[in-house]
Amino acid sequence: MDVDSYTDLMPIILLGVVFFISAIGMLYWSSKRGQLRNFDDQASTIFTDEEPEGEISDSFPSK
Amino acid sequence: MSNAPQSNSQSVSPYSSQNAAVRAELSEIDASIRSSAIFFTISAIFWLLAGTVFALIAAYKAHEPSFMGDSALTTFGRMRSAHLNAMALGWGNNIIFAVGLWIMARLCRSPIRHGGVLLIAGAFWNIGLTLGIGGIIAGDITSVEWLEIPHYATPLLAISYALIGVWGIVAFKFRKGEHVYVSQWYILAALFWFPWLYVIAQVMIIWFPARGVVQSVTNWWFAHNVLGLWLTPMALATAYYLIPKVLGRPIYSYYLSVLGFWALAIFYNWAGVHHLIGGPIPVWLISAGIVASVMMVIPVIVVGLNHHMSVVGLHKEVWRSPTLRFVVFGAISYTLVSLIGSAMAVRSVNEITHFTHFTVGHAHHGVYAFFTMIMFGGVYYMMPRLLNREWPSAPLIKLHFWGSAIGITVMVVALQIGGWIQGVEMNNAEIPFLEIVQNTMPWLQARTVSGLFLTVGHIAFAVNFFWMLFAAGAVRAKQGPTLLDSTSKEGAA
Repeated sequence: MDVDSYTDLMPIILLGVVFFISAIGMLYWSSKRGQLRNFDDQASTIFTDEEPEGEISDSFPSK
Repeated sequence: MSNAPQSNSQSVSPYSSQNAAVRAELSEIDASIRSSAIFFTISAIFWLLAGTVFALIAAYKAHEPSFMGDSALTTFGRMRSAHLNAMALGWGNNIIFAVGLWIMARLCRSPIRHGGVLLIAGAFWNIGLTLGIGGIIAGDITSVEWLEIPHYATPLLAISYALIGVWGIVAFKFRKGEHVYVSQWYILAALFWFPWLYVIAQVMIIWFPARGVVQSVTNWWFAHNVLGLWLTPMALATAYYLIPKVLGRPIYSYYLSVLGFWALAIFYNWAGVHHLIGGPIPVWLISAGIVASVMMVIPVIVVGLNHHMSVVGLHKEVWRSPTLRFVVFGAISYTLVSLIGSAMAVRSVNEITHFTHFTVGHAHHGVYAFFTMIMFGGVYYMMPRLLNREWPSAPLIKLHFWGSAIGITVMVVALQIGGWIQGVEMNNAEIPFLEIVQNTMPWLQARTVSGLFLTVGHIAFAVNFFWMLFAAGAVRAKQGPTLLDSTSKEGAA
């Protein structure tokens, strides 16, 4: 590919850069909102009183 | 089944009558998405079966070209592309819309608002897809892999996707609580990534085509990222939700799960260019793709380690759970297929695997053994909670599992061994090309056999699903939907 043709790649390179920057922006937002702290507590947030931690909730039906 | 032990079932089921007071919130969330989730699941199963038929025809024609040779509609190229789009956009997207949005709503603890609009958007998605795949079979296929759907169907797909995807984002906006669980990260990001990929690829390749090889770069940027930034995050989100949820044990390391997500989000985007190794594009661009591909080892190891450590000591419970049998199979496959994929991006390996059946085996390893198996697990967990009804037949679940597991294993092994031999032979100029083609025949026949196993599994899944859905009187008499039974007498198959 000659040098002149490199300009053809610019749109997709720019889109890749925008993609990368948006990912970094999301990471920054999550850090500011405290999403990257207290990991152990956060792992338990999927459990509720209705579906509690410590109990298995699925097995084969009886026939 | 109405005689199933009640203590076990009722102690865990959030839907059991004793827990009626505390199950209101989850029930409201499940009820808000019930109609649309069931619609998407029915659509997904339809496309799964249609895609299976297309696959069987294509697979058989690969070693018996004269099969259905008199019909233009069933030529290999059309059947192969109809299969790909039926599976990726029909089965894959519909089941993502069902399971992904359901998990999102549950984790946000927020009901899906105006579910009727979601239903209409889903109907248009499937109409657009029917139009598109019908167009492929009729001969209106484009020449771009993964974007074969004719241009007259794609705007409908894009608009209906936007209406569907926004529902997940709205659920996130109205979530209760500040914390964002890792599954929500994966789903939320994927809901943005897919339209980004699809619209850019459509614009730069179909609507306003870029010049020359830029189309190829865009093509493989899109095709690879559909796997890595759409199907993969949705499947990982499902696994990260279901493994701890079913076992009642938090994920081994939440820190590692977050690390895995951000590594995927930041590095994966570059990896697709490795499909063009040896092609007429700047070497630095390919090198960047190779580096990104190898760097993906980091999140893969992280995710694999996390999943493995989360189930350590509970293997019997995994085996007893229909959900986790599929999900753990998929999670193990994720580790294997990703490490193989990183190795395939290395130039010296790619010299052998490029243009061979090895790549086809690798694609099925990812989309089926990993993504599809996890989504099957998601359906087995979701449907009883949506319908408040137990799966009617354990033997059909087991038949589904073994049909799918054996089928995909045979397919991946056959295509990757056969493909490797094919690649080595193609690099030897002394072997005539026709001889190499003939040497692939046993491996292609093995693929057809594997397809029969998969077909049996899919039929078992469909029968069980529709039995559960429509034969309500026969299976409704349950204590709850969580499928619990005495742990001493099931899960043996």
